[in-house]
Amino acid sequence: MATPLHAPRVNNNDDIVQVIAFRVGVGDYIEKGDIVLDVETDKAIVEVAAENDGYVIKLMCEVDDRVAVGSILLWQGSSLDEPVPEAVVAVSGGGGNARPTARARALLKELGLDASVVPTRGERLTLADVESHMAAHGIQRRDRTPAVSVSLQENLPDVPGDLCDLNAEERGMLITVSWHRDHAAATYLEVEYDPKAWEDHAAAYASANKLMLSPLLPLLTYRLVQLVKASPRINATVVNGKRFQYRPVNLGFTVQAGETLYLTVVRAADTLETRAFIEALGEVQRHAIQRKLSREETSGATIAFSSMARWNVSRHIPILPPYCSLMIAHAAPKGSGRAVLGASYDHRILSGFDVARLLMDLAKPPA
Amino acid sequence: MNLDRDSIQAAVRAKVIELAKTLGMDASEIGDDDLIPASGYVDSAAILELVVWYEDAYQMPLKQEEINIDNLGSINSMADFVVRRKAGG
Repeated sequence: MATPLHAPRVNNNDDIVQVIAFRVGVGDYIEKGDIVLDVETDKAIVEVAAENDGYVIKLMCEVDDRVAVGSILLWQGSSLDEPVPEAVVAVSGGGGNARPTARARALLKELGLDASVVPTRGERLTLADVESHMAAHGIQRRDRTPAVSVSLQENLPDVPGDLCDLNAEERGMLITVSWHRDHAAATYLEVEYDPKAWEDHAAAYASANKLMLSPLLPLLTYRLVQLVKASPRINATVVNGKRFQYRPVNLGFTVQAGETLYLTVVRAADTLETRAFIEALGEVQRHAIQRKLSREETSGATIAFSSMARWNVSRHIPILPPYCSLMIAHAAPKGSGRAVLGASYDHRILSGFDVARLLMDLAKPPA
Repeated sequence: MNLDRDSIQAAVRAKVIELAKTLGMDASEIGDDDLIPASGYVDSAAILELVVWYEDAYQMPLKQEEINIDNLGSINSMADFVVRRKAGG
């Protein structure tokens, strides 16, 4: 059965959103969580993600259209020839002005649905009406993390200049920095350690496996994954005032490809053996340099790692990726005989004690 | 790209020198049998760039397990590996 994607409510006071870009077209296959379009209100630009897997079979609006919150933006189907339900093609064919009950209103708000699109069977719009509408259109309660918004309320500088659009990578960075600033209670601490034990461990592993690339950072990150796996509380974020406990450990790993910084992702890293993990990490790094990263390889990080040892910096304080409560910062100034493991962390989830203990464990290679 | 072994060897050498230069190193003295990872001229990130360039230049996608010292450890081994693969070996 075809399923609709509805226009989300971005701000409590905005009943209309403007479509500013489609990232998919009819015929594309998209997965739950894929970003499919961008909408704008007076205050923010928001990415809208698919709530289901399926082919895009019909777009219900165009770029620059202003649509009501809850309107159907597009239809998805399990095949390209799946019919769009005629009765609901018209966005306005809903329940009119029936006043929703309190419980119906709460569910409508949670779903980002406009009451006018939901048919009613009585004088009031009831919870049962909303649930019937959900069942009829395959709408599910949202269990994914919400989209990140970017403020558009800044004044222009009092200096002549031009506003320029950001490219995709720059927009991604803006969203990351905005989440870090607006949502996370970001804090930083670091420990120094003697890198010799890790260097010896990596050299022995490289020699035994005839590796071309130093496995030092892959082994460090694999150790991080194992430590997080043993302490799942670290692998979490906060959504709508509640703890969101991730099930898989998806490792984010920064890769500088030319002038672009990517956060590549090895998904379900906690299920991989050492060698398989090193190969998976090598694969996403190659894809980053080739500029051939898939969406799966650039999204969904639950923890992250960044090293600036290559640039000989002594300290860097990473920005937390959206919905990620921990990002390790590795530095190893050449010739100093010391190395640094730091961490930006979300204090809503982790305490300094949690992170210090993790860093001290991470500073030692596995026995 | 010329698939003559000497040309491959020269191209790989030029790429190693170019990558080392971006790190402020002069790799012009690197030997054709020197282990590139152990040479100190290029770090892991630069070796990764070398591998990606190599795959693209010789239209030869590599499996992750093929990226090892035996196949790609030195300028000579990288040249030999192209010749071997193109010959179907």
